[in-house]
This record gives sequence, structure tokens and C-alpha cells, in this order.
Amino acid sequence: MGGEKSEVLQGTLDLMVLKTLYAMGPLHGFGIARRIEQVSDGVLDLNEGTVYTALLRLQQQGWIASKWGTSENNRRARFYSITRQGAKQLERETENWERMAGVMERVLKLERQG
Amino acid sequence: MRKLRILWARLRGQAAQGREDEQFDEEIREHIAMLEERYHSQGMSGRQATRAAWRQFGNLTALKERQRAQRGFLSPAEWWRDVRFGMRMLSKRPVSSAAVVLALALGIGLNSAVFTFVNALLLRPPQGVNDIGKLVEVWLHNPKAGGVEGYLPFDYPDYAYYRDHTKSLEGLMAFDGDGEDAIWNHAGMGEILHVQFVSGNLFSLLGLNAVAGRTLSADDDRIDKPGQVVVLSYPFWKEKLGGGTGVIGNTLMLDGRAFTVVGVAPAGFTGLMVGTDPDFWAPLTAMVRFRPDDQNRFTDRDSSWLIVAGKMRQGARKSVQAEMQVLAKQVYLEHGSKGNFLDPVAYPLTMVPGPFRVYVGAFTGGLLLVFALVLLIACTNAASLLLARATGRAREMATRSALGAGRARLLRQMLVESLLLAGIAGAAGAGIAWVTSRMLMALKPANIPVTLSIAMDWRVVLFTAAISVATGVVFGLAPALRASAVRAARVLKDESPAGSLKKSRLRSMLVVAQMAVCVVLLAGAALCVRSLMNANAINAGFDTHHIALATLDPGALGYTPAKITDFYARLLKRVEHLPGVNSASYTQFLPLGTTHSVTFAGRQLGKDPDAMTVDEFRVEPGFFRTMGIPVRGRDLTQTEADAGQPDGVVINQTLAQRMWPSEDPIGKHLALRGETTMSQVVGVVMNGKYRTLGEAPAAAVFRGQVSPARTLVVRTAGDSRTLLNEIRREVPIVDPLMAATDVQTIEQYMALPLFPARTVGWLLGVSGILAVLMTAIGLFGVIAYMVSQRTHEIGVRMALGARRSDVLKMVMGQGLRLTGIGLGIGLVAAFGAARVLSPLLYGIGANDPATMTAVAMGLAVIALTACYLPARKAMKVDPSVALRYE
Repeated sequence: MGGEKSEVLQGTLDLMVLKTLYAMGPLHGFGIARRIEQVSDGVLDLNEGTVYTALLRLQQQGWIASKWGTSENNRRARFYSITRQGAKQLERETENWERMAGVMERVLKLERQG
Repeated sequence: MRKLRILWARLRGQAAQGREDEQFDEEIREHIAMLEERYHSQGMSGRQATRAAWRQFGNLTALKERQRAQRGFLSPAEWWRDVRFGMRMLSKRPVSSAAVVLALALGIGLNSAVFTFVNALLLRPPQGVNDIGKLVEVWLHNPKAGGVEGYLPFDYPDYAYYRDHTKSLEGLMAFDGDGEDAIWNHAGMGEILHVQFVSGNLFSLLGLNAVAGRTLSADDDRIDKPGQVVVLSYPFWKEKLGGGTGVIGNTLMLDGRAFTVVGVAPAGFTGLMVGTDPDFWAPLTAMVRFRPDDQNRFTDRDSSWLIVAGKMRQGARKSVQAEMQVLAKQVYLEHGSKGNFLDPVAYPLTMVPGPFRVYVGAFTGGLLLVFALVLLIACTNAASLLLARATGRAREMATRSALGAGRARLLRQMLVESLLLAGIAGAAGAGIAWVTSRMLMALKPANIPVTLSIAMDWRVVLFTAAISVATGVVFGLAPALRASAVRAARVLKDESPAGSLKKSRLRSMLVVAQMAVCVVLLAGAALCVRSLMNANAINAGFDTHHIALATLDPGALGYTPAKITDFYARLLKRVEHLPGVNSASYTQFLPLGTTHSVTFAGRQLGKDPDAMTVDEFRVEPGFFRTMGIPVRGRDLTQTEADAGQPDGVVINQTLAQRMWPSEDPIGKHLALRGETTMSQVVGVVMNGKYRTLGEAPAAAVFRGQVSPARTLVVRTAGDSRTLLNEIRREVPIVDPLMAATDVQTIEQYMALPLFPARTVGWLLGVSGILAVLMTAIGLFGVIAYMVSQRTHEIGVRMALGARRSDVLKMVMGQGLRLTGIGLGIGLVAAFGAARVLSPLLYGIGANDPATMTAVAMGLAVIALTACYLPARKAMKVDPSVALRYE
């Protein structure tokens, strides 16, 4: 069953987290993991702990901010939200990613010649 | 900006590491709890849900480690843990740790000792001066002349023009680069003092305040009214005048004139140039009082004698050079564009004048290179030791990595250990540098007046710290990379560590490199030491034993020629009657000193295009006998020496051969440039060395007409040292106002021409010995380690019937193979390096085969011994014990 799941590509987790926060508004780590799981349809083999490394990294860059609060089922949780700079970064990264994906797509569609 | 922000975040994270840890723990706990709840609600049992939650979350230990590393740089507690752990590892094997530390400390210490000199001579502002990078020195450069001769100091009119017109400089000061001697009439006795003439603004521009009284002012230095005032140096004031403030306002009798003491310079200030060391300072214009015959020094535009320095105005750094150019053009045009245009060049002010820094830099750079090689050998030893330890710690590393330590974490642990070694070595090295630099100062000939403040200032400390850290990384990185690349599962399953073969190969490579570097160093050292022995054995052309010397200059007292002649005659008579004295005489100066005089010898008076350059010495009768120079023909007579022109001269063999290749020169006549009569050759002397010990035979002529400044030469049957004090005593008995300077034995005198070869020989000798020792230890370590690793194998071999000699052959073979490769590479490199050394070598080819062979053989023997000891241990392996051990 492991064969059907894909590893998270190096460097893409940050972008996923950023986009998730952009789309969903403030979320805690658990919520982010759930959301990514949901969107990926269970195809992604995500070690949920790594989400926290990504969160710390993004926070240090100043792209997200965090605040302690209470979760829907009354647990204390740290809520992360995207900053203005984070939104700008997301825009840049998205463009970057789309360009890259376009290139990959074209390369993979190359027909055998001769 | 982004980088800054991350740095700031990390710094903050570092500071709040503990609180962050707690908060993070809470966050994770909640996360896992929520996961559990979710699995539970999906219908899992309690334990199943817990396990699934943990699995889903991933490796918590590794995550925390990563999180902590990402948050700050390192937690202080972890740093401390690493350091403590490292200390424990080092103290586990105290002997080998101490050996490595000692080797590194020597390497680091020698490098920083040399750097102390680089710093004192080339980097620091002059000692005693509080400079914040604003002082510059200006020289004039003749673009048509090459080398250091192209650089000239200033003449007085040019200096005055620059001083009065500069805007980028707050002021321009000047001092007399040569220094002068003055005779101090001290309670009826003469004593020689060193004086430096300085411009009146020098002290105030340097921001120097007098310890007592005042310093010199611009008013003391007026050309129309030179002040008869002096400022004393601190040591002179303390040692000779008792250090009381009552001295201020008193007069000193200097060269027969009264000078008023106006103040005392601060301690530590010895002028702006190395090698001057004045006892007192006097205004530039007061020079006319000391040198009445040299009046036109202040108007002559061809007399370059002033070294000029300035203090830049705030923010004028860039415009100084440009402004000096403009001033130079103005001066050039004003004087009708005669002669060569001289380009002004500004340098930061240090103790070595700008144009000469290249030489000092090259010399010290060469030394640093040699000691860097020594340090490199020490590094390979350290690396080799750490590699051996890393093998022994494979299991520890595997356990740590299984418990969640990442590779970076292991790497850090290993690097902390090597930095710890390097740190201890660096601290010890600083101590060694302190001692060595003082020992090096002691190597300098006593007759060079140099006090150099070789302080361990921040530059030296920084340099030492930097090379310590660099060595720590250099020798620690390879072992650390190796050790951190563990395959935990394999090691823990007790498979033989796959890395060990690779590791011992790396160690073998280190030994080969070490051996090669050692050959280069040792070959260089051997060449230098042999050349030093040659230099000591070089025949200078005169006797270098049983002679005492003293310098005298009654001319400074303004005596008449008759009085001077009388003084010398009476002194000679007294000295000749001292017990043990065989003969005594005078010369203007001795060969191989710092003074030279050149004239031209030809066959006709007046213009003679065929005249050849000859070294000229003015001597009194008896000089040759006293100096032990054999004369064919006869010596000069007193009449010839005292005559107004050189009627009779003595020449050396080289001149004789050049002038009259196949005839007897005695009785022939030659013409000396500038004379009105021909000179008759009355004697021929053996060739000698006149400028340097390494020079090719040069032509020389010896004549009379000695100047008032003379060197007294005295030959004794016994030890010339016992004569020195007696000579010193005789001088004031003959004339109480006179004092002898440079009273020394001929051996002391010869320290100067032998100085370069001696210093280099010494330093290279020491580094060669260090290199051999360290290489031997390194080789021994590798072979001993190999034996300990192969004990089991050797046991099996012996159990299967291998003889002891086979084991010996096997172990020695491995050691000698490494030695052989290292020697080969080293010899090739040594031949290259020797070429660089060749200008320093006396009477020995750079590729001297005997030296190279001896070095190779000697190293081979040492290597053999270093291998034999562990090999003997291997021979004694008891098969039953070795096999049972596993």
C-alpha cells in the first residue's frame, strides 16, 4: 500500500502550508495537516510532525504569525495565520511553481523522435 | 533584510529556547491527542488509536531536535553538554591528547610569534602613538628607477612647501631618517647619545603629551632662530638622569654646546621608525648646531634626508594622494622642471618605512610559510589521531543516531571535540608565541639599536584565534565527516564496521602527505644549516678572533685636526701598552659593516674611461698586522698615511690582477679618481669580503688619510672580551670629553654580516626538528593502530604457521611503503622549494645531492624505527590470546 503514496516533494510543504493558511484563514497545526490530507485525497504520505518544522521556518521568515487560542473542541492550540508579506511570497511562489510545473509537463510529454 | 530578520528570529529563539520547548511540547501533545480522538471515533480501540496517532505523527525525537536546531543556533545547555562530553573524551586518553595539543600548540605558537613581528613592523602604528588610522607617510618615487632605490625621502625646501600648502592633512611633520650621534659632556666625561631631529609640530600632531615639562613646539623649530632645546626619551631620563622633574630647565652639554631640557617624552615612544631609538629629540633646525659644516642642508634641493608623515583630516582619506600629486607638480614647475619628476606616494604610517615593507613582508611571509608547513604536519597528526578514535567510537555514533541524532548533530559533536583540542592548543600557542618572539628578539645582533614593542595586542590575539579555529576545522572535518556517516543498523548488528578500511586508507594518505611535507622542510633546513656552517667558515679575508673594536668621533667636539691627530696618537700608545695587546691601529670603518666607500682606479689622472670601480678603505699603519691580513711587499708608513694625498697605497689581489694581469704590481703606479698625484703600490694583500660574505671577489684599495671618525682595532693574544672594559676606560683618560661607542669583539661585530643566515638557519633548524618528531609520532601512531586492529588476524596467521619474521615483514612492509611514497613525493617538492632558497645559500648548490640523500636516508631510518616498535609488539602476539579475545 505504501507504493501508492507519494513522498512530499522537498520544498513544497512550505508552499502547501502557506496556501492552506491563505485559503482557510487562521488554523492550528492539526487543522493544517487535516486540510492537506483532505485535499491530497490521501495520496500524500505526510509525517504530520514535519508540518511544525515548516511552520517554524515560515514564521522565522515573517510570512506567518501565530497566536494561542482555543480550538473548536475546547483545547488550547496555537493558531497560525498568513501575513501580508506571506501573501506576497505565496504569489511569487505560486507563479514559480506553475512555471516549473508547465516545464515539467512539456518535458514529460515529449514524444519519441526518429 | 530577510537574512537579518531570520538572524533576529533565531537570536530571539535562542534566548527563549526553554520556554519555546515547553510551548512546542504542549502544541504537539494537543495535536496527537486530536489524532487519537479522530482514530478513536473511526472505531479503533484505545491502544490502536494511540499507536496509529504516533505513527501518523512521525519521529518525535528527531522532530524536536530539528525544531530546536531551526529555532536558534544551538541551545546553550547543549553546547555545554558537547564541551563537557568532549573534555571527557579527551581526558580518556591523556597522553595522546597531550601529544596532539603540544604539536598543535608549537605550530600555532611559531606562526603567531612571526605574526607578532609582522604586526609590530607592518601593521601597528608606531609604538606609543595613539593612531586611529589617520597617520600617513609620504615618499617620493622616481618612476625611472627600479626597486627600493627609486624611493626618496624629502629635502627641506620641498618639505616646507608641502607643509605650508597641504589642505587634506592637518599638518605635515618630518624627521631625520638617519639619526645622529652627539657627545654628552657628563660631569667631565664624554658619553655618546643618539639624537633624532624632528619638526616642531611632530609631538603635537601625534597627540603626545610630555611626561614632565613640555614637548617641542613649532616655535622651537624656526629656521631663523633654531631653539637650543631638547626633549628627553623616557628611558634616558629614568636611567641616566634619575627620573626627577628637577631636570626640566637644566642644560645638557652636547657636542660642546648647552641645550635646555624642556621636557620628557612619554614612555614607549621611540620615534616613528624602527632602528633609531633616540636618547633625545631636538628641533630639525637645531641640526646646524650639531653639524655646523652642513649649513646648506636646509636650502639644498638635492639633499634628501627628511622622512615625512602627516595626519589626515577627517574624511580626507581619498584626497591625500591626489593633493600630494598636485603639490609635487607645483614644486616641479616652480623649479623649472629640472631633473626627474618625483611621484609622491602615501603609505599608512608604521615602524617600517613604506618602500621597505616589501622586503620585511617577503622575509616574514617566507617564515610564515615554513611554520605553516609545521602546523600542517601537526594537523595531520591530530587528524590521524581523531580518525583512529572515530573508529573506536563507531558504536557510540550508531547508538546516538538510532536515538534520533541527525548527521549534523553528530558532526557538530565531533567538531566541538576537535575545536576543543585546537582551542587548548591555541591558548598554549599564545604562550609559546610570547616566549618565542622574545627569544627571536634576542637573536638580533646587539649593535643594532632596535627596541620593538612586540606586544600581544588584539591583532595578534585575533590571528592566533583564527588559526586555531582554522586548524580545528582542518584536522577535525575529515574525521568528523567520516564518523557522522554511520550506518546505525549495520554497526549495531555487530557487523564489522565497513568504514574502517577506508579510514585506515585515509590515515595512510595523511602519513604520506606528512612525510612529503617533512622532506621539504628538512631539506630546506639542512641546506640552510649547511650554508650557515659554510658562512661561518668563509674566509672574510681578516682574522675573526682575538680582536677588539671601538668607534670614536672627536670631530663632533669641533677639535682642530692637530688636536684630533694628537688624541689618536696618545690613545694608540696607551692601548698598545695594555697587557696582552699585540698591536693596534685605526681604520675609517671595517669591511662587512654598514658603511661603504667606492672610488675609481685607473692608469692615468683626470678622466679615464677605463677606470674601474674599487672599494676604498682608509687605514693607518699596522692595520693589516692587527687584522691578520698578510701583506706582500710592505705596509703603509706613517708618513704616507699622514700625507695630504695617497702617495703610497696597498691593493688587493683582484685589483692587482685586473690592472697588471701578468706583472708584479709592487712599485707600479695607479690613479685614484679625484687625486692630483699618482699613487705607488707598495704592497698587495689577500682578497677579502667587503660588503657581504657571499660576494664574488671584488677589487679594493687601502690608503691613508683617515677621517676624524675612526674605528680602533686592537689585537690581543688572549680573550678579546677582557680588553673591552679597559679600552672603554682608556678613552676618557686620554681626553675626558671623549667616549668610545660600539666597543665590541670582532665576533660580536661579525654577528651583523652573519645575521640573515643565522636567523634563517636557526628557525629552519628548529622547524625541521619539529617536523621530524611529529612525522615520526604520526607514523608510529598509524602502524601501532594498524597492529592493534589486526591483532586477531596476526594471531590467526601465527596459529596457521606464520613465523615471527613473516609478521615483522608484513608490518614493516606496510610502514615502509608509506614512507617510500612520501619520500618520493617530498623529494620532488624539495628540489622545487630549494630553488627558492638558493639566493640565501652560501657555497652550496640548491640541489646539493649529498644533502638530499642524507635527508632521505635520515628520514628512512627514523621511519624504520617508528615502524619497528609496533612491529615488535605484533611479533609478540600470542596466537591463543589473540584468538580467544574475539
